[in-house]
Amino acid sequence: MGVVAYVAKRFGLYLAVLFIGLTITFLLPRLMPINPVDGYIGQIQSRASGTLTPEAIAEMRRNLEELYGLKGDLLTQYLSYLKRVVIDFDFGPSFTYYPQSVSTMIVTALPWTLGLLLTATVIAWLLGNMVGLVAGYFHKRKAASILEFVGILLYPIPYYILAVTVLLTLAYIFPIFPLSPTFPVGQMTPEKVGMIIYNSLLPAITLVLAGFGWNILSMKALAVATAEEPYVTYARLKGASNWTRMTRYVFRNALLPQVTALALSLGMVFNGALLTEIIFSYPGIGLIMRTAATGGDYNVLYGAITLSILAVATAGLVIDLIYPLLDPRIRRK
Amino acid sequence: MARLGRYLLAPLMGALMTTTGLAQGAMTDVGTPRSETLIVQTFDGRAANASAQNPMNAYAIWRGFRELGWSWLWEMDTATGESYPELAAGPAEVLNDEHTQFRVKLREGVYWSDGTEFTADDVIYSLETYIKYREQLGRVAVIANYVKSWKKVDDYTFEVETTRPAYDFQTVMGVYTWGSQFVIVPKHIFEPLGDDVVTFQNTNAVTLGPYRIKEFDPNGSWQLWELREDWERSGWGNLGEPKPKYVLYKDFGPEETRALAFVQNQYDVDTFMSPDSIQAAQSRNPNIETFSPTFPYHDMNDACSYGIYINQQRAPYDMPEVRWALALALDLQQVGISSMSGQFKAGALPLADTPITGPLYYGPLQSWLEELTLPDGYKPYNTNFGAELAETLAAQGVDASQLPTGDALEAGFGMGWWKHDPEEAAKLLESVGITKGSDGFFALPDGSPWVLEFVIPGDWNKVLQRIGFSIADSWRQAGFNINARQVDNGEFTTVQNTNARNELQINWSNSCTYNANWQNSWRQFAETYVEPADSTDALNGNFMRVTDQRIFDVVADSARLPTDDPQFLENGREIAKYLTEDMQMINLMNIPTTIPTNKSYWTNFPKQDNFYAAPYTWWSSFKQTVVNIEPASPQ
Repeated sequence: MGVVAYVAKRFGLYLAVLFIGLTITFLLPRLMPINPVDGYIGQIQSRASGTLTPEAIAEMRRNLEELYGLKGDLLTQYLSYLKRVVIDFDFGPSFTYYPQSVSTMIVTALPWTLGLLLTATVIAWLLGNMVGLVAGYFHKRKAASILEFVGILLYPIPYYILAVTVLLTLAYIFPIFPLSPTFPVGQMTPEKVGMIIYNSLLPAITLVLAGFGWNILSMKALAVATAEEPYVTYARLKGASNWTRMTRYVFRNALLPQVTALALSLGMVFNGALLTEIIFSYPGIGLIMRTAATGGDYNVLYGAITLSILAVATAGLVIDLIYPLLDPRIRRK
Repeated sequence: MARLGRYLLAPLMGALMTTTGLAQGAMTDVGTPRSETLIVQTFDGRAANASAQNPMNAYAIWRGFRELGWSWLWEMDTATGESYPELAAGPAEVLNDEHTQFRVKLREGVYWSDGTEFTADDVIYSLETYIKYREQLGRVAVIANYVKSWKKVDDYTFEVETTRPAYDFQTVMGVYTWGSQFVIVPKHIFEPLGDDVVTFQNTNAVTLGPYRIKEFDPNGSWQLWELREDWERSGWGNLGEPKPKYVLYKDFGPEETRALAFVQNQYDVDTFMSPDSIQAAQSRNPNIETFSPTFPYHDMNDACSYGIYINQQRAPYDMPEVRWALALALDLQQVGISSMSGQFKAGALPLADTPITGPLYYGPLQSWLEELTLPDGYKPYNTNFGAELAETLAAQGVDASQLPTGDALEAGFGMGWWKHDPEEAAKLLESVGITKGSDGFFALPDGSPWVLEFVIPGDWNKVLQRIGFSIADSWRQAGFNINARQVDNGEFTTVQNTNARNELQINWSNSCTYNANWQNSWRQFAETYVEPADSTDALNGNFMRVTDQRIFDVVADSARLPTDDPQFLENGREIAKYLTEDMQMINLMNIPTTIPTNKSYWTNFPKQDNFYAAPYTWWSSFKQTVVNIEPASPQ
């Protein structure tokens, strides 16, 4: 298969995934047992029962259906959704926070999510793979077992418990970090940027610890298997040093599945980290998505899920395209 | 689970508690002196729309706007239930016998936070905008449906005509409980926008209250208010000097981190912290106080009450015997102990039993409740409910000195509730052909299985979620095959509004009678708000699904009575009797709100024995707290 055909096929698949993903995204929230009008009214009503008159509720119901564009048949709504999303990349207003635009909400929250999760994911991946590689390559040594133990210890801990433990340790017993940080606002200065990094360290440490264990275990398993391959034995017999065998023979060959996992987890970053946001009072897109799901805020769900689909599909496409560079076998095929 | 949490948290705190700074000159994270800053936990956690501050649409309502930013024509004294003028110079003047035309005189010398004078033009502009854009603005429907026309008389006087006889004019155009639906906006800011007011965000809003927005987090974690230098000429500057120079609304995260931050004196007032967390925090920091020094420690004065709303239009719930059976099969004592650690105040009438409603409804109807007799001659009311609860709690190890005795029993645990009598419940069911099947559960008269769907809130209302599950347990023990289904907020509303999907639901939406004026909650008991039993159309009111013609008649008759007329109140009691004698809704208890405070930096918060206002930081009456608290003595 030529390069052009290979790229075209992958790109075609990418577009198909996007189309199917967008269609499912459109339908899924509408299958939920709630509707956004009830979500909005319920939000006001649940905390203002005595002051919301029946006449007002009836009027709100009529107006909101109109404002939200929920009138008309499903096909018309679907076509209008596709046009808005694909052509204009506009997700319209949030239903729960009408008339706030979904784009504004996402643009405000997303940099925080990306800043934290991208950094933490990459660090966890790098650290986990390094430790896993050493633990796997030297798996017969005691020190390697200790490294593996770290992975086994961290991996199964539920994130919530891990986060609260880290918080108790580093913000309460040893109050190095704030228990409930206040992120500075307004014009950014070096001091404020420093404060943001400082306030983000604790959630970042927790995310690294949470992701770290899986990377150690998976890389260790891959490294053990790869180290037994005949070409590694051959390299040893040829007199290649431990360092060379570990990095150039074992690591490179064990890397492929790990790169795939990294790419997919980078795509998932767009889903946000709800628990992290709640426990560490960290801003981000996770809470916005949760509120949207519970309130039937279709447009916010469309915005956030579309971004996620786009990110995961693009990550898959990029991986597909760079695989031949990483693995000569695919190149030859 | 909650107890387990307490046991885990308490020793942790004990082991970990470090000396926490009350250092003189300590600063807050937002750069204000801690000793001059009142810090409160936000009601809704983090807001997703912090920049949205236009009160005519959905906006960041829980960031202090109602309490510190806006100002109302009339405010509610939450200690007495009496309305008092705020921006208005006095009560509204009624201009016609139909009670539809009113003249309102405004206080002179009130200024917006940007220095512009507040006049009748602002009121008129606001009313015009509410009506003109009623189809595009999300939060104006109540006023748009209430006001028919308006007229400026002079800079400080205006007249309004309402769409219906309005004996509740001051509490609709002003505050009934927690804030008003009529937020007056500054004409000089909004008018130049023309039609764009419908999408205007109004970020850094110009306000009328004595505080102005100093800074806020666009990600919705906090908002800082600063006292205006000219606070005396603000919307409620006449109430007295607000004590804190700054008020910070901030989200301190989930309950675990809030408890730790509270121990560290990082903030002063919380919202709903569970009794277990409060107890754990108190054991580490003696400055943390509950609403009441004795059992039940928490505030029970919310405007609404929790109850089980029954779809009376659907069989077999259309039979009073079935509804009574559900009430008598419910062991409320056990429900309250398992879900609330016994810290609740029961109420048998369809409204909360507070210091305001108690003398108006509960007191006068107590003997009627005692004499209430079911058709089979059974007297269901138990006046000893409170005393029995205290006995049980004492037997379970609660310190007897902490339990109320004598008259305090009624103030603490309520005046009484229904007997727990599963045998009588079974008898009532049997009388309508419902008996237990071979599986031990009650079956329908035709012998088919009877699975009762009971809808309760999910995580978004943990208190009610716990109560709901305890109720389901209690009913199951009595032989009802209950399917307790927890749902999100949106679906909760859908179930509440849709006959076809509604069977039994724990709710509070029609039991919000706060004072003698019961219109807000019960005016919707009318034929207009009844849909067929199997309807999928949304109900807009009458969520108790009342179809009782006697009640409809009383409501209709009362529409022509002033709300301060003794007959109006008597009619309210009549409605309460009809609802109760047919068990049209099983009222459970007042809504418990814990509201712990920390007196390290500020003292004199509203408490049971110092009830100068409702203690809620998210009600507009929080202004009373801001005026009445005092800085703590340096330590």
